[in-house]
Amino acid sequence: MYAESQNDITRLVVQCAQLLLAYGAESELVEDISQRLGKALGLASIEISISSNSLVLTSLVHGRCITTTRRIRAHGINMMVVCELQRICLLAEKGIYGVNEVRRRLSRVEPRSYPAKAVIPMIGLSCASFCHLLGGDVMACMLTLLASTIGMSVRLFIAKHHFNLLVNFSITAFCINIVAQLGYIYPITDTPQTAMAASVLLLVPGFPLINAISDMVKGHMSVGIARWGQASLLTLASVIGITIAMQIGGIF
Amino acid sequence: MTDSIIFLVLHDALFSAIPAVGFAMVFNVPKRFLPYCALAGAMGHSTRTFLMHFNMPIEWATFAAAAVVGFVTIHFAKKHLAPPLMYAVAAIIPMVPGTYAFNTVIALIQLTAANEINPEISAHMTLNALKTVFILGALAVGLALPSLLFYRNRNIL
Repeated sequence: MYAESQNDITRLVVQCAQLLLAYGAESELVEDISQRLGKALGLASIEISISSNSLVLTSLVHGRCITTTRRIRAHGINMMVVCELQRICLLAEKGIYGVNEVRRRLSRVEPRSYPAKAVIPMIGLSCASFCHLLGGDVMACMLTLLASTIGMSVRLFIAKHHFNLLVNFSITAFCINIVAQLGYIYPITDTPQTAMAASVLLLVPGFPLINAISDMVKGHMSVGIARWGQASLLTLASVIGITIAMQIGGIF
Repeated sequence: MTDSIIFLVLHDALFSAIPAVGFAMVFNVPKRFLPYCALAGAMGHSTRTFLMHFNMPIEWATFAAAAVVGFVTIHFAKKHLAPPLMYAVAAIIPMVPGTYAFNTVIALIQLTAANEINPEISAHMTLNALKTVFILGALAVGLALPSLLFYRNRNIL
């Protein structure tokens, strides 16, 4: 294998790993996919080291090493991209895809997301079901539906303008809580506290928390701790928003 | 008696399938996999409710439910050649201890505002924090159970 093609393949593999990490795959999956993709494309071995915001990858073939580093900027979670990259890896492993096909398909990977007008009502309904599961009455569920629909619209609106995620979560939690407090002011429901608890559940960073623990369980300590810290900060940010809203409403 | 348990489980399955689909859309799971996320989410949460109905503690019930989700999603993953994580994250969302997590941090802020160590609020905070951590641990380890037990040296896909 010539030096140029080792360069080429290493670039493809590192691009794949970078995309996986940016769109929220767990470290074990990233390591697994990049090692298998590298071997499928003809490298002897791939060693990868992941930290919270960068990745270092070394490819080895015929006693020659190439090491390269990439900065990772988190783009939010997109399972379409992760699924597509897993497909590419499997097809390369079966020998259906060579270097050129992998390159072409990698360059076409782009994150598509659901339209806001589909996501917002679904999240409203989800939080209303949470309220129902937590034992709220019908009016509490309606109030949760209203509050979390408004909250999700605010969250998507702020995200569109590229604000810091922590700022976004604080403002969203504040708006949700202001709306959900209507249950205390007007006696429409017997369970206003359930509506209040359920409507902020759309802000729970469930995915980063699960990723954090499963990284730590599988031995990627530093990444796991970094993700845990990130998730705790997000929770703290939303609680600050909630607290301000509660103090304005006089419930605290 | 059995009639009411069946009703409870079905009712639970319906109302946990909705959040599973909702959050799957936030995570941009492709459209053709959404029904499978709903199915896995419904199975997970109704298993937990069923076990808690027989007085199992919430942590162990969550562990068992997450293990069920883990095995079911590996089956789906093999069928569609997609990572099992994709189904699992959405299916797990209804069981994430969000209320406990928020209660913990709200108690923490109350403790700061009170300017003294109030034993009642401290106890409330510690209890909620422990529940959060142990339920999350049960979820993550339960999900990883198939790869810890059966896929030790081979790939799932």
